[in-house]
Amino acid sequence: MIEEKVEIINKLGLHARAAAKLSHLANTFDSDIFIVFNEDKVNAKSLLGILTLAASIGNYISIIADGKDETRAVKEIKKLFDKKFDEES
Amino acid sequence: MIRINEGIEISKIIEQNDLRIVKVYNKKWVTNKVSHPRAQKPGLAIAGYFKYLNRGRIQIFGKTEMGYLNQLDSKKREIQLKKFFAIKLPAVVVAENQEIDELIISIARKYKTPILISNLSSSLLTSRLCSLLFRYFSKKIKINGVLMDILGLGILIKGDSGIGKSETALELINKGYNLVADDLIEFYLNSNDEPIGRPIDKIKEWIEVRGLGIINIIDIFGAGALLEEKRLDMVVNLERWSTKKKYDRLGEGNLYFHVLGKDIPMFDIPVAPGRDLSTLIEVAVKYFISIKRGKKSFIEHLYGKEKK
Repeated sequence: MIEEKVEIINKLGLHARAAAKLSHLANTFDSDIFIVFNEDKVNAKSLLGILTLAASIGNYISIIADGKDETRAVKEIKKLFDKKFDEES
Repeated sequence: MIRINEGIEISKIIEQNDLRIVKVYNKKWVTNKVSHPRAQKPGLAIAGYFKYLNRGRIQIFGKTEMGYLNQLDSKKREIQLKKFFAIKLPAVVVAENQEIDELIISIARKYKTPILISNLSSSLLTSRLCSLLFRYFSKKIKINGVLMDILGLGILIKGDSGIGKSETALELINKGYNLVADDLIEFYLNSNDEPIGRPIDKIKEWIEVRGLGIINIIDIFGAGALLEEKRLDMVVNLERWSTKKKYDRLGEGNLYFHVLGKDIPMFDIPVAPGRDLSTLIEVAVKYFISIKRGKKSFIEHLYGKEKK
């Protein structure tokens, strides 16, 4: 199991469209993937779950992955956060 | 004595419609907090036996308490009331809309205790207050899955993401059963020590169906399709069909799902093309009900109940 902290740097934070991209990406991996924010831990493959977090710009979240492709999963998901979900240039 | 900081504010309790609070005295102190999950009827404490009176507990005055106070002579009454309120209780709730006089209010005010008047009888008031406080104070846990009411039982459908939990729930709603929550469910223990599931407010009423997006259950199926909360009775775990795994072929049913320290009976149901999941779950629930009523399983039918 690996865990990595990521800062949310896109303006709108984990809003609906970003959350959709995140859960879509998470679904391409076999590992169990979770997003942790404050006290809440949700399944990254579930769109509604991610939306309940309401994490916004400047917040730190943790990505936790457990499974065969955990390293790749965390790396790719972190990349999605870092490139602001392809929303801003 | 200092007041307790952790807990639920009296103002939150006043807001609850089902407690039928009709009047509030000493409103200034509604920021007091209740820190104990059970309401208390003081009973003998009013006569001076304070040993088991807890500072964090909300107090209920029923007919007994009020009756006792009202038959005391005025001097003794004042002394008893002062001793009682000096404990600095978070609040006193008077049941059955009973009248209280200025003396009680002023002594309570002196010790910063609000007094709420309720229309309910004291037994109903106690049980509703306790269930409210239990929901607040209970350990809580969030679980991924779908919670439904099927034939009166609370059924949690679990399984990996993308296996079709929400789609199965949609089929079950279409058959007339009720949804409690999709995706994330919050469980707490009620005053009977049973796990109760509720939706997360932000995504209540909504269900994600791949291909359609996120749809509103009430808009599509009507208000009757949704329940506020439900006790968990049985868990159905959907799994991708694997030739390696042994499934329960004889119905010996000894799987359990652990939630908040409780064991809930669970069935693993493999998912494969051509298996109608909503019907399978419906039948699993009916089977569960029949076993609970003491009907024989196949093994018991062959060998008798003892030899299992």
